[in-house]
Amino acid sequence: MTLYRGIASIDRMREEIQGVRYREATETFCRLVTDEKKPLKGIIKEAIAAAAPFVQVPSHLMRLPTGEMRGVNYDHTILGWRGAVSLLEEIGGTRGILPSVQAMWYVPQGLNIWEQIICEFPGHYARDAEKCNAKVPDPHHEGDRFDGPAWTPPKIYFEDQDPIETGSVEERLERMSWAISEGERDEAYRLFLGLAKDPANRERLKDAILFSGIIDLQDTLINRGGYQNIGHKAIRARALVHLADYLGWENAHEVIYTVVPDLGCAPRLHGLWTEISNVLRMEVPKSATLPKRSDKPLTEAELDRLTEAIVWGGPFDVNSALLDLYKRGAGIQDAMDAVFVCFQRYLIDVLEHPSLFSHPTHALDYANVVQHWIRNFDNPHQAKGPFMAARFMNDTIRSNAIYPRDAKFTLEPRKAYKAWADGIAVDRMLPVIEEHVLAQDAPRACALVDSYLERTSERRQLLDVITYAGCHWQNDPHVMRNCSSSLEEYRSNRTPRRDDIIRGYAKHQSRYIKRAPTHDCYNVFVAHFQPTAH
Amino acid sequence: MPMTKSNLGDVWRVRNAAAQTLALAEEQVKRVIQAATVDDLVRMIEAYAPALSTGPEFTRTFDPLVERLWVWRDDETLAALAAVFRERGMPWASVVNALLPENGAAIRAALRQPAWARLPAFAVA
Repeated sequence: MTLYRGIASIDRMREEIQGVRYREATETFCRLVTDEKKPLKGIIKEAIAAAAPFVQVPSHLMRLPTGEMRGVNYDHTILGWRGAVSLLEEIGGTRGILPSVQAMWYVPQGLNIWEQIICEFPGHYARDAEKCNAKVPDPHHEGDRFDGPAWTPPKIYFEDQDPIETGSVEERLERMSWAISEGERDEAYRLFLGLAKDPANRERLKDAILFSGIIDLQDTLINRGGYQNIGHKAIRARALVHLADYLGWENAHEVIYTVVPDLGCAPRLHGLWTEISNVLRMEVPKSATLPKRSDKPLTEAELDRLTEAIVWGGPFDVNSALLDLYKRGAGIQDAMDAVFVCFQRYLIDVLEHPSLFSHPTHALDYANVVQHWIRNFDNPHQAKGPFMAARFMNDTIRSNAIYPRDAKFTLEPRKAYKAWADGIAVDRMLPVIEEHVLAQDAPRACALVDSYLERTSERRQLLDVITYAGCHWQNDPHVMRNCSSSLEEYRSNRTPRRDDIIRGYAKHQSRYIKRAPTHDCYNVFVAHFQPTAH
Repeated sequence: MPMTKSNLGDVWRVRNAAAQTLALAEEQVKRVIQAATVDDLVRMIEAYAPALSTGPEFTRTFDPLVERLWVWRDDETLAALAAVFRERGMPWASVVNALLPENGAAIRAALRQPAWARLPAFAVA
C-alpha cells in the first residue's frame, strides 16, 4: 500500500476529491479521524461540501447526434454518505466507520457525470461503464487515465443561489413543490433554502421534499433505456432528510445544494403517480382517511396473493391485490410492510444473474423511502405509497423477465446445502456466514442463514455480520444504501414473514454484481482503524 | 370458496382435465418441433427478443422451450441454432448459453419421467 505523507487537512482532502485522487482522498479522510482526531461528522460535512458544486447535470437525458436520447446517471456520492451515516449507528464501534470510508473512496469517482459519459473527465462511469480509455486512448499515458487524477477542473452546472424568504410558509411550500414538478430548479432550490432556515418549517419541508421525490417515478423500465429515474428522486430526498438531521440543518447547506436542484431535473415522470391517483379516487375515495395501522393484520393467504401479484403478475394484478387490502380494512403501513416482505421472494427464489439485482434493489430502496415517509409524517396522499412501491417492484421484475433467462448463471438451490448448514453448531455459524458472503457463494450463504434463522431467535449479530461483509466491496454506494434500507425495514416490519427480509438480504449481499473484485478500500480502512473482530 | 368434499372432487377433476389438455398440446408441439427446420426454429426463438416479445409472460416460456428442444431435437440441430445466434453477438448471449451442450446435458440429466406419467416432468411457465 502506498503511504501518503504530509499533514492531513480538510483543504488537502478537498483538493484530492476535486482532483479525482480517490486513494489519496481516502487516506486523508482516515488520517483526519485517526491522526488529527477531527470529529467524523465534520469531515463528512466537508467531503460533501467539496463535491457539492460538481454533482449536478444539465439533464438526465443526453441528446445524441443521431437524435436519439441516452440516460445520464444520478449523483451517487450523497447516497453513499446517507448509507454510511445510517450504518454508523447500525454496525457500531470502529467497524461502523467502514461504510464511511467506502463512501469517501467513491466520492472523487462520482463527480461530473455528464463529462464522464462523454469521456472528458475521469471517474467510475468513464472508466467502467463507458470504457473511455479504449474509446479515446492517450498513447502518452500509462494505464487507465480515466481512473484519475483529473486533468481539468470539474465543471459546475448549477451555481449556488440565495434563498427566497418572501411569502407565507404555505405559499412557499406550494410553489416549491410545483417548481420541482415543473423543472424550475432555481426557484425550487431558493425556496427550499429559505424555508429550511426556520426550524419551525422543517418537518413540513421534509414531508414536502419526500413527497416530491416519491411522486416522480417512471411507469415502466421495459424497453425505455434512459427515460427513467429508477427511484433516484425519492432516494435523494431521503438522503437529504437523513443527512440534514445528522449534520444539523444549520450545517446542511451543501447537502441541500447537492440534492434539491436535481429533484427538478429532467426527465420528470408523473404518469404512474397520475394513474395511482385516479385508481384510488375511483376505488377508495376516502383514501386520505385510511388508518396507518389496523387491528386486521395481513393473513398468510393475503401475503401469498400479494407475492404472486408482485413477483409473477402484471400491474393490474398488483393494483387489485392492494385495493382489496384497503377495502377490507388494512392500514397503510400494514400494506407497505406486506409489499416489502412479499418482494423478498423475488430476491430469495428467482434472482440468479448478479447483474439483474440492480433495478429491483433500487425499487427496494424506493420502498424504504416510501415507508419512512409513511412512518414519520402525516400526508393525505400516503395511501398511494404502497401502490407506487409495489408497482415499481413489479415493473423491475417484469423488466428483467423481458430477457430470456441466462442458463450460465443458474444457481444451485440453497436447500442442497441445508444438511451441511444444519451440521454447523449455531454458535459457530456467524464467521462461516461471513466467509461465504465474502466468497459470494450465495447457495451456501443462504443455506446457512436459513439454518440460523430456524435454530435461534438471535438476529442482531446475524444482520451485523451480513452488513459488514457486504461493505467490504468498493466503488459502489448502492451497497451501503441497500444495507440501510434492509436493516431499517427489518426492524419495523410487523408481518409474520419479516425474517424473509434477512433471507433476501443475505442472497442480495452474496450475489449482487460487484464493481471491483479487490478490497483496496477495506485494506486502507483496516490499516488506519484496526477494527477488532466481531 | 369453502372447501367441501364435493368441490374438492370438482377442482381435482378440473385439474385433471387441464393436465389432459396440456398433454395433448405437448404432443402436438413435439410433432411440430421435430418436423421444424433450423430456420423455423430460429424464427421461433427470435420472438424472444425484448423488442418482439409480447411481454414477460411470453419470455418466461423460454426455459420450457429450451427444455423441449433438448429433449426432442438432436445435438446437431441445437449446435446449428447456437451458431446462428452466436453470430449475432452479445444481445443473444443468454440464448446461446441455453443452447450450449453443457446446458443440454444438465437439462437431460434433470428431467424425470415417473412410471405413471405420460410425459417427462417438463417445466410449465
